[in-house]
Amino acid sequence: MASSQHVLLSPAELAYLHASLSLTPPIRPDGRSPTQFRPLVAETGILPGTNGSARICFADGTEAIVGVKAEVERTAQRPGEDTIFLEEGGVEGGDDADGDGEAREGVDKRKGDAAWVEMTVEIPGLRDDDSGTAFLSAMLSEALLSDGEFAKRLWINRRFHWKLYLDIILISPPLSYPLPLLSLTSHLALLSTRLPRLKSEGDEDPFFDDDWAAAPYLYPRTTPTTTSSTSPTTTTAATRPPITLLVMAVGNNIIFDPSKEELTVADVALAVSVTSTASSTSKPHTDNADLKEPDTEAGRNLRLLSIRTIDPPSRLTPPGVANAANAAYGANNGAATGATQKMLEAQTAETEAVEGVWKAPRGGAKRRVLGALVQKVLERGGVVDEVLDALEAVDLG
Amino acid sequence: MPITILPPKPSRPINNHQHPSEDDVSAASDSDSDAGAAIDQDGDHAMHPPTKRTRLTTTTTISNRTAAAAAAAASIVTPGEQITDDPQWMRGHGTYVAGTAAGSASTITAGSIVSSVAGTVTRTNKLLSVRPLRARYTPEVGDLVVGRIVEVQAKRWRVDVGSTQLAALPLSAINLPGGILRKRTETDELQIRTFFAEGDLLVAEVQQLFGDGGAVLHTRSLKYGKLRNGVFVAVAGMGGGGGVVRSRRQVWTMDAANGGGQIDVVLGVNGYVWISRHVETPEAEAAGKGAAGITNMEESVSTTMYSSQNDRIEVEAMREIARLRGVVTALVENGLRVDEDMVVRGYHEAVEMAMVSPEGSDDIYLGGEKGQQLAAALTGV
Repeated sequence: MASSQHVLLSPAELAYLHASLSLTPPIRPDGRSPTQFRPLVAETGILPGTNGSARICFADGTEAIVGVKAEVERTAQRPGEDTIFLEEGGVEGGDDADGDGEAREGVDKRKGDAAWVEMTVEIPGLRDDDSGTAFLSAMLSEALLSDGEFAKRLWINRRFHWKLYLDIILISPPLSYPLPLLSLTSHLALLSTRLPRLKSEGDEDPFFDDDWAAAPYLYPRTTPTTTSSTSPTTTTAATRPPITLLVMAVGNNIIFDPSKEELTVADVALAVSVTSTASSTSKPHTDNADLKEPDTEAGRNLRLLSIRTIDPPSRLTPPGVANAANAAYGANNGAATGATQKMLEAQTAETEAVEGVWKAPRGGAKRRVLGALVQKVLERGGVVDEVLDALEAVDLG
Repeated sequence: MPITILPPKPSRPINNHQHPSEDDVSAASDSDSDAGAAIDQDGDHAMHPPTKRTRLTTTTTISNRTAAAAAAAASIVTPGEQITDDPQWMRGHGTYVAGTAAGSASTITAGSIVSSVAGTVTRTNKLLSVRPLRARYTPEVGDLVVGRIVEVQAKRWRVDVGSTQLAALPLSAINLPGGILRKRTETDELQIRTFFAEGDLLVAEVQQLFGDGGAVLHTRSLKYGKLRNGVFVAVAGMGGGGGVVRSRRQVWTMDAANGGGQIDVVLGVNGYVWISRHVETPEAEAAGKGAAGITNMEESVSTTMYSSQNDRIEVEAMREIARLRGVVTALVENGLRVDEDMVVRGYHEAVEMAMVSPEGSDDIYLGGEKGQQLAAALTGV
């Protein structure tokens, strides 16, 4: 079964769409430029009972709500892992464990587990065990958890952690493939998520500050005017939640945020998950090279987290029939018997493409196109940067 | 700028008091004795706050009445909401009379008029009806519709026309290639997919209605048939202010700017719109001479009638088609009606907007702010 829903379009429409999207520059049916997204309406903090929430709607009426809730959970201890001594007197007797703890003190003793995040995706009209929903949920959680950095943020101490529940709900019927919408909404919700400030220390039972105003953000915000600041050293753009973008290619054109119709003629469709990590963790070679200066000024280290191919619905579309082979074509209508007509149909399915006649794309993605696609996504100061900037500019009410 | 993120608009204040229309209607019934036409009672909402509602006098000024109409439009009834229990009113579209069974469990009294859709209450003399906020298309005989084949059956197609039910297109209601007039045979039934297959778009006319509101279509005219060389866009058929309205001309050919050639626009009454490059076909020439008719159709029905092969379309034409599509969606998004006048004016406005825009005349994007600009320019005139 196709991972994206099937859209019924006539062969003539498909041929037209494909032709207009293959032009350089492509003409998209809604007039957008290839890298342009549909305008969004976004707000955060809409659900008072959650730790963080967001709502995004597209102009076409597709709308999603994400709520993030957190609760304290006891971390399951695995035998053999660092044992915990509750008594103050029993100061880490095991010398080996102690050495380990000391060694990790300087680095990062926080640990994360993918089970600390529970994500549910709800699409109206689809069962929650539907393959489409499951695939969406897998892609979103994969982006969040694949590098293990996110779960580390939920670490409280060695005995407790936050358990995070992400509820992603598409309110409207899925008018277009909802992955980018859901991803952007959960990004915003995670940006606005705050966890109560921890008052307790060490491995004792966690005790929190009940002043909500003092609660820190899960993703700490840096100064809002990072890009315009003068000194590049302070432009340490903090780590941001991942975003998953839907990118497709028609011919050699790379198109961002495709609508449902555009996706129907895609040769390749990819879901690319990208995150921006703190640029303060700069690699040694960026320090000595002056040439790298403009790069650090951009302020973001984009990291590719995952790439998933989306089965484009174009493969399931019916081929068009060329005029020459059309049985309804007045000239040969009388002559064409059932057998010859069938033969002609089979022939058109196999022959080379006729201009103006739709033919479903065959075969896999071209390597060159895939490479260009990923490069375009990771481009500095490119689309992803601007999307992240725009999402950051949303007021976290 | 690849992405624009806007803050949500503040929601429009809605007249949010209990049973707005009931009060209104009962006020109307009070004043009924003193020669007040029911239409005047529409003024009740705007002129008086709900807390101290006074009876409306018949000396409502015109300006008050228009303000009243706007305010009345803001008061919305939901399905199952009682509009009035006064027996003097007649129920219209979008309402029903509550039965006795309903009264036992709920607060609705038997015999009262209850809304069956979400929308605004309208009154015409003694007739109460609710105009739905959103509604599916209700076919009427003679409507020009654009539809998409969703199912092929033995002797007919089922066509999606945006109605509550699929419309039917019988095999006998299409023109055969070459315009041959004869009885449809088994061969035609076997070849039914060569005329229309699943997914194909067509323009047709509603020929007949079933009792349950289902429509039967026909394409027995040279104007109708399969669609190609263009793009499809579905807009709301009715309700909500925007959408395609029934008008004198639903199909026209217009000259595109920037060397785009001629473009055909088909506005289906059902809210499905087709925008395509104009193709000069032999039957159109024949129609121009006035020679085509049901009598000599066999000579003029084009051989490319059921073709799914697009003609060669120039880049300029594609760009202008996309621009026109943008105009139609911008009109709908901003709650304006879609008809020939608005689309043509909107298109010329869009061309001029593109001329002065920094991106040049190749800029065809009309979403978001640009759409609002366009709508403002159109409504300002």
